[in-house]
Amino acid sequence: MDEDKPARVAVTVTVNGRRLSAELEPRTTLADFLRVDLGLTGTHLGCEHGVCGACTVLLDGRAVRSCIMLAVQAAGHEVTTIEALANEGELHPLQQAFVDKHGLQCGFCTPGFIMAAAELLERDPDPTEQALLETLGGQVCRCTGYEAIIESVRDAAEKLRQQGVGPLELLAAALEKNAAPGGGE
Amino acid sequence: MKPPAFEYAAPTSVAEAVALLDERGFDAKVLAGGQSLMALLNMRLARPELLVDIARVPGLDSIEISDGCLGVGAMVRQRSLEFFPGLADSHPLLLAGLRHVAHPQNRNQGTVCGSLAHADPAAELPALAVAAGAEFVIEGPDGKRSESAEDFFITYLTTTLEPAELLVEARFPLLRGASGWSVQEVTRRHGDFALAGAVVTMRIADARVADPRVVAFGVGAVPLRCTAAEQALAGAEPGPAAWKEAGALVAEAVEDPLDDVHASAAQRRSVAGVMASRAMEEAAARA
Amino acid sequence: MSGSIPNSLEELPVSEIRWIGKGVERLEDPSLVTGRTEFIDNVVLPGMLHCAILRSPYAHARIVSIDSSAAEEMEGVYAVITGSDAARLTNPATTAPEGWGGYCLAHEKTRFVGEPVVAVAATNRYLAEDALELIIVEYEELPVVANAQAALAADAALLFEEHGSNVMLQRKFTWGEVDEAFDQADLVVSDDYRWNRLGANPMETFGCVVDWNPADDMLTCRGSFQSQSHMGLARSLVLGLPSNQVRMISHPHGGSFGGKGGFRGVDICALLSKAASGRPVKWMEDRLEYLLAGAGQSWDREYRLQLALKKDGTVTGLRVKLLDDMGGTAEAFGAVSAAKPLAAFTGCYAIQAAEYDLTLVATNKIPQSPYRGMGPPPHNWVLEQTMDKAARELGLDPAEIRRRNYIPADAFPYTIASGNEYDSGNYEAALDELLNMADYERLCAERDSAQAEGRLLGLGLANTIEPGVFDWNAYAIVGLESTGVPEGITVAIDVMGRITARLGFSLEGQGQYTLVAQVLADYFAVTPADVSIVYQDSLSAPPHFGPGGSRLGVAITGAALGAARLLERKLARVAAVLLQCGPDDVELMDGFLRVRAMPEARMHFAEVAGAMLARSDLLPEDSDPQPQATYVWTAPGRTPADEQGRAKSYLTAANACHLVKVEVDRDTGTVDILGYWLVDDCGTRLNPVTVEGQTMGGIAQGVGAALLEEYVYDESAQPLTSSFMDYLLPSVYEVPRVEKKALTTPSPFTPLGAKGCGEGAMHTTPAAIMCAINDALSPLGLSAREVPASPRRLWKLLHENAD
Repeated sequence: MDEDKPARVAVTVTVNGRRLSAELEPRTTLADFLRVDLGLTGTHLGCEHGVCGACTVLLDGRAVRSCIMLAVQAAGHEVTTIEALANEGELHPLQQAFVDKHGLQCGFCTPGFIMAAAELLERDPDPTEQALLETLGGQVCRCTGYEAIIESVRDAAEKLRQQGVGPLELLAAALEKNAAPGGGE
Repeated sequence: MKPPAFEYAAPTSVAEAVALLDERGFDAKVLAGGQSLMALLNMRLARPELLVDIARVPGLDSIEISDGCLGVGAMVRQRSLEFFPGLADSHPLLLAGLRHVAHPQNRNQGTVCGSLAHADPAAELPALAVAAGAEFVIEGPDGKRSESAEDFFITYLTTTLEPAELLVEARFPLLRGASGWSVQEVTRRHGDFALAGAVVTMRIADARVADPRVVAFGVGAVPLRCTAAEQALAGAEPGPAAWKEAGALVAEAVEDPLDDVHASAAQRRSVAGVMASRAMEEAAARA
Repeated sequence: MSGSIPNSLEELPVSEIRWIGKGVERLEDPSLVTGRTEFIDNVVLPGMLHCAILRSPYAHARIVSIDSSAAEEMEGVYAVITGSDAARLTNPATTAPEGWGGYCLAHEKTRFVGEPVVAVAATNRYLAEDALELIIVEYEELPVVANAQAALAADAALLFEEHGSNVMLQRKFTWGEVDEAFDQADLVVSDDYRWNRLGANPMETFGCVVDWNPADDMLTCRGSFQSQSHMGLARSLVLGLPSNQVRMISHPHGGSFGGKGGFRGVDICALLSKAASGRPVKWMEDRLEYLLAGAGQSWDREYRLQLALKKDGTVTGLRVKLLDDMGGTAEAFGAVSAAKPLAAFTGCYAIQAAEYDLTLVATNKIPQSPYRGMGPPPHNWVLEQTMDKAARELGLDPAEIRRRNYIPADAFPYTIASGNEYDSGNYEAALDELLNMADYERLCAERDSAQAEGRLLGLGLANTIEPGVFDWNAYAIVGLESTGVPEGITVAIDVMGRITARLGFSLEGQGQYTLVAQVLADYFAVTPADVSIVYQDSLSAPPHFGPGGSRLGVAITGAALGAARLLERKLARVAAVLLQCGPDDVELMDGFLRVRAMPEARMHFAEVAGAMLARSDLLPEDSDPQPQATYVWTAPGRTPADEQGRAKSYLTAANACHLVKVEVDRDTGTVDILGYWLVDDCGTRLNPVTVEGQTMGGIAQGVGAALLEEYVYDESAQPLTSSFMDYLLPSVYEVPRVEKKALTTPSPFTPLGAKGCGEGAMHTTPAAIMCAINDALSPLGLSAREVPASPRRLWKLLHENAD
């Protein structure tokens, strides 16, 4: 491979409510695009072969493994990362629940768990034990032994039900507010 | 673990996709969901010169019931099929089987047809397709052709797809009313590939087993349709004796099972028989 | 110094304890849950290059030639280095035992698949990996030493020719009258066991960013370092730099569970940086590299364990023979895992005669690294299983045989045969609590009737000691002979009255910063959120070690309290001047320095600190104007090891008792965990929520060890476990729900009575699960003695009567 480098591809993607364009080598993974090109380092790399889930982000509201996706596959879609959840310093209920229920220790896997839980609770505000396990079963944690994570997601579900709002609904409202003229950055 | 460099194309029609594949042959690979391919790329175990991304081809993401079949297009995500309205009635076997496939996070991105074309014999979808009597619609430079799932799988990770061909649709005959079904598998962990598994469908007519279909997976290079077991079951009186005998025939039919750290060859053979018996029992109970 | 630390909560200068002993919200968490914590891979520095490493595909081979010219000429590549560069510019790694290490890049020969051979630095990681593909290395294969037995063979190829053999260490340690015990025994029970390699696998692999400044020869290493000073010292020795020119900056890291290693990576990046005119070089170890050759493999053991017993079940002697396959070098300090069992060699039992016949060998597998528990988990696993075997032969219930052998509650502090001292404990109380909680009688009845129906249902009871607060002397037998592991904290109050604690370690997950804040909050009557914890690098922080050996909670409690008390005395002396009374007349209470005899005469510590910093006119000439104090805590009463390795090493002895119910599927060989109960006693729980989290994490890793995790090699020492498809980490489905109860027997030796507990359940869970499996198999006369108890192994045992 000398000067015959494959052409870069133009990619337009909406990330955390903001429309972005970039020119990338097609082999750039979505995870690396987010972390390196956009500086959104809350999404982590734990295995780079689609098993551990530390890289989980939402693609049009669906939890996906960004390490085994190409950035170009996200073109024209909406990507949501952990950075979108907190609203001007105030934690999202999912995040607060993990804090309240000690659902994290080293915290490396936590953004992935939170994003996966966000998809679940948006679709299913009162999930059965089986539905909870099914989503959490796709994410690996080495520190907590999972018990506290299950409690955290249950707690978040209850808080969101009390508020009568879904986790992504909350996000959308915040993103809209921040994008409005006179709103925050 | 970063992919090697490759060219990228995002055709907007099947014809365009096929033309690209035809031009580059073995140097090109189709990218649908990427759940199998991307890991290989990250590990540099796959080195295609050209990736043909079919996600931009319109019309490949439809799920339709027509002619007594559930037609699943090439870009239908596994999760979309899982959530297809009424799937629990039209094809509960597919629904149950899909839930064994990896994890929701993979199924959100991975495609049904992608898993079929990848043809891992320990995967659930190829076995489900064979058990369901699925037909595959394939498009190539010479036009469309149709192939049964059973004929489609040749060996480990290999199908009858020519380099220039694209699997555009998988058509699953709807499960006949009052059909019983079951998927049984042994995995190291929930969501892993099966060490050995079986898919069984059957009806009970006049207190006898009718139209049995028995497929074992994870035990050879392709999903194994166990015709000897089916013959033993057809017309048999439902019960432990029948399941045991047919299960033994399944075990016998297993040729050259994989021997690895997870299970020995002898174990896979034996467990395939056990899974088949358990699946028969469950299918009969549902029938 | 240690006399000045408050020993109990009553001694703290507050009228109400508000924070210690409670599960307070962790200071670390808001940053972690928002993804803002700066893990090492977040670091981007100007001019930073990325390292990729070309690794040996052979287990044992001579390196004949390296042609890296095409890589060097590639656009975007700025440096390429090989083993000859390493040999020219560095010293071989320090190892334990000494003399069994090489250079960061293989020089002349390679000793394991995955050993670094060539490294490149390029503008990004994608390019760096492209560059590797242009490098041509010619190897000449050498005969492979594939396992421990092969290493011992008379004609074995040698890993290190200069040593003349592959035996790194071979010694028999005898404590007490062992031969006599066995000669006079009513019953001798013996069995052989195999524990296969497994390891830490934190969710974050190792990473570093290193720059070697050519102008002042200052080496700055950022990374996910567990023990920055330790790492820094080793870097200075290897790279030949003065120790005060090596700065280690530890970043919060995504778990460690042993030794977040990567020293080769740091040295490689240092050399690349030097070759690239001092540009920073980042290496992120990817998961494949970690599994292949990272700090992820531990405990490759063949055991023979013998118990000498009286017919009433009293154990009079214990013999342990261990052959441990260390892998290609001793660079990763995996050998400490073979030494640590001395800290709790006889477990909970009053066995005064014991022997350890230890052989460590070198083979062409990767070097072993430390993993949670550091050696006792396999040791306990063999001891508890053999106790059960003895119980079966004597017709005793497993609970009963243990009860008859426990060290009695009034015998503490208790010195065990191998020399360590257990601080406190009440093992019988823990057992009774557990049996009661789990309704043991009913469980036994359930098990018996299930077995009568032919079901393979089993119960496993295991109790262990979890040694805490390590000291180097625990590893004296493998060459680490110092004593005293420091942990220093500086507590400072600024002119606005705000408290800052400065310390020398970064976060790993155990909530240590929160603990420091809790302690200081209950000293100065503030809230934990009022305390700012500031991390300092290896050249700035007071003497430190960081996490390891279940020490940090105890150590930082001691350091924080010690610093607080020193600071309190300073504040009191100044307050006395300002309040116009004698220096001994002032006390701290609820944040106020007050005259003891007239408490309404008082000043808040903020005022006093403010005066120290801004009102020098009010202070006497000889006063120290700094409202800050540093205290370095080390464990009291440590002794150097004698010639049999005996030493007071680990300061505390936590105790756990686990009960597991399993069912083995006869047809498939799979194991289901149907119930899990435990009682655990780690003394005072400074943050009970943290402790419980550690327990559950340890259980998850224990389940992985017992049933799932294994690094497999073929007969050419080629690793077959290359990804997470093969190395199976427990998911939420595999970890059982656990009923837990805590007992508290405080330590008499630690500040506030806490015992080290971080390694926790890993000591016990594998043993409990295995005992349960063997209880399930015992009606068939079968026993499983190899981990993981995979479907393959169990099916073979059940159907082919073989293992």
